Amino acid sequence: MRALPGLLGARAPTPRLLLLVWCLVAAARPSSADGSAPEHSSMPIEKNITLERPSDVNLTCQFTTSGDLNAVNVTWKKVGEQLENNYLVSATGSTLYTQYRFTIINSKQMGSYSCFFREEKERRGTFNFKVPELHGKNKPLISYVGDSTVLTCKCQNCFPLNWTWYRSNGSVKVPVGVQMNKYVINGTYANETKLKITQLLEEDGGSYWCHALFQLGESEEHIELVVLSYLVPLKPFLAIVAEVVLVVATILLCEKYTQKKKKHSDEGKEFEQIEQLKSDDSNGIENNVPRHRKNESLGQ
Amino acid sequence: MPAPQRKHRRGGFSHRCFPTPQTAMTPQPAGPPDGGWGWVVAAAAFAINGLSYGLLRSLGLAFPDLAEHFDRSAQDTAWISALALAVQQAASPVGSALSTRWGARPVVMVGGVLASLGFVFSAFALSLLHLYLGLGLLAGSGWALVFAPALGTLSRYFSRRRVLAVGLALTGNGVFSLLLAPALQLLLDTFGWRGALLLLGAITLHLTPCGALLLPLALPGDPPAPPRSPLATLGLGLFTRRAFSIFALGTALVGGGYFVPYVHLAPHALDRGLGGYGAALVVAVAAMGDAGARLVCGCLADQGWVPLPRLLAVFGALTGLGLWVVGLVPVVGGEESWGGPLLAAAVAYGLSAGSYAPLVFGVLPGLVGIGGVVQATGLVMMLMSLGGLLGPPLSGFLRDETGDFTASFLVSGSLILSGSFIYIGLPRALPSCGPASPPATPPPERGELLPAPQAVLLSPGGPGSTLDTTC
Repeated sequence: MRALPGLLGARAPTPRLLLLVWCLVAAARPSSADGSAPEHSSMPIEKNITLERPSDVNLTCQFTTSGDLNAVNVTWKKVGEQLENNYLVSATGSTLYTQYRFTIINSKQMGSYSCFFREEKERRGTFNFKVPELHGKNKPLISYVGDSTVLTCKCQNCFPLNWTWYRSNGSVKVPVGVQMNKYVINGTYANETKLKITQLLEEDGGSYWCHALFQLGESEEHIELVVLSYLVPLKPFLAIVAEVVLVVATILLCEKYTQKKKKHSDEGKEFEQIEQLKSDDSNGIENNVPRHRKNESLGQ
Repeated sequence: MPAPQRKHRRGGFSHRCFPTPQTAMTPQPAGPPDGGWGWVVAAAAFAINGLSYGLLRSLGLAFPDLAEHFDRSAQDTAWISALALAVQQAASPVGSALSTRWGARPVVMVGGVLASLGFVFSAFALSLLHLYLGLGLLAGSGWALVFAPALGTLSRYFSRRRVLAVGLALTGNGVFSLLLAPALQLLLDTFGWRGALLLLGAITLHLTPCGALLLPLALPGDPPAPPRSPLATLGLGLFTRRAFSIFALGTALVGGGYFVPYVHLAPHALDRGLGGYGAALVVAVAAMGDAGARLVCGCLADQGWVPLPRLLAVFGALTGLGLWVVGLVPVVGGEESWGGPLLAAAVAYGLSAGSYAPLVFGVLPGLVGIGGVVQATGLVMMLMSLGGLLGPPLSGFLRDETGDFTASFLVSGSLILSGSFIYIGLPRALPSCGPASPPATPPPERGELLPAPQAVLLSPGGPGSTLDTTC
């Protein structure tokens, strides 16, 4: 996400792209008699431009006011330094136009360019030139010891000259060399790069940086890699399995317990009935006759 | 003479005196308890539904990580859930066959262990193939063993409130996927996809205690001994019953269209011009309507005002019409609009589809008797899986050919409508008593659809189905 000033020397200016950029600055109308100006607050106007190759650039600002156009002072500045030449000023009706043409060749010419219109108040429009930003993952990448993982960096519609990967321990960045069987750097398309790390160890975790080199500067992105050992998820896993086993055992034991209770109470009833029958039997005069009668009653 | 007194005293238990203690002590099985332990079974079925279908739905959150790790496309990872769903539904008859033979409880408990093993195995995957085998085959088979037996057991515990209980259990799907989605994202962010799959295996293991709660219930009309031969346990004999065959045909057709919105409602909304959040809203209201309708329909259907087969046909037809409306809704203007017409159509579809779902299972005991419910559930799942496998690809093909989803939704709606039309052939009143069927099949349970007088009132009004006989 950061664009850094590059160290490339100037190339022969072969502008491949003519860039025309507009910037519209609207001003408040100054009030008439009482002196207090009802000012519309105009936020500083900014435009971000992504550029990766040397180009011809044409910046235009237009300023509308109801006051006297000749009283407006127009300047162009880059990061505070006033730019002397190469800009035109023209007027049409109540609108003032100013144009600044130049060529961006190397990273020194990247940055912020502003047009200023000074009346009572100074109005400004700013153009920010940056190299393309890289997109990685916002979340840390989680992997395990012995596993392999792929770190990806990509940017939209860009063709970097070169990709490099760095590791950082603290503040020191160490380039990732291509060791056999450990690191493999490749990318399917020009706008992406992939770093594949195999046989991960816990020390391999940490911050990784992917660097994209453009003619007009550099861009980099940070990716966090976390390497866990298998014990980390294993503990909650075993805890949950133990809980499940406990619940199942509880259910089965509860059921056995209630079944035993039922059996006991049933047996108790059975016992009572047998007791009553025995007492009935003993009440009878003879054993056979009452049974006969019982049989008859059963036969109904 | 003391004899009369003895008769009196022994009147209640005289038959217990001489026969052997075991059979003497066994009381006659009562009817479905319609409550009591049945609610525990409903809760267990709720969790089982959630841990199988609900988990499967939210599993898609892990697929981008998997695609990145194995350097494969999103389509390749989508096959994981497609395979799991296919195995789960197609193998359902196996689950119901096994539970017919050995009872639902051990089968569901084993199914839970199997599904859990599938997740644990896939946590160590070295290629996408391992994931297809672990999640698709193993976990899918585990889930096949749990769903049909659980739902079948639940149906046995209820008669007057069966549709409500089934509807309650089926909402587990939506609730669990709602809860598991953020939980799964948290697991992925903390442990990566390997750790997340491992812990999902532990979570899936909770299917086993749920299975332990499915106590077997003895009902009148159960066959005295479970069938031994594999074919008999599969319950294919159920197809000889005319009512079930009609139901099977209708359900197979409905299955062809029923699952299309699951896959294609969001892309359809996007096609119609809604933004990402608008499409998500459409899917969300359809899902909420679906979940709510399952409960409400359960409550109302059990009142018995309308015979269940009629309700089934009505809501099936409404679902089909709902899909027609969803497909024909005009192009919505712009990304900013909240898509009024499409939202309304999605709600209508969701309400009808949600009402249809518990009725599919609630109507089974009336068709095959309470003893055959478990087998019938398994067969129904298998039939719907045929449609589920063919429907979405057909819909996608139509989309590619015609440029938008109108044709897809029209065809899906037509399939559902034709299935509902076939449902009209189902018996409306009580199922026939004492059919000339093999002795293995139990006689249908009495009185679980309607009390007889009401049936007489309603049937003359209905579009005369004189195909069935009444007692």
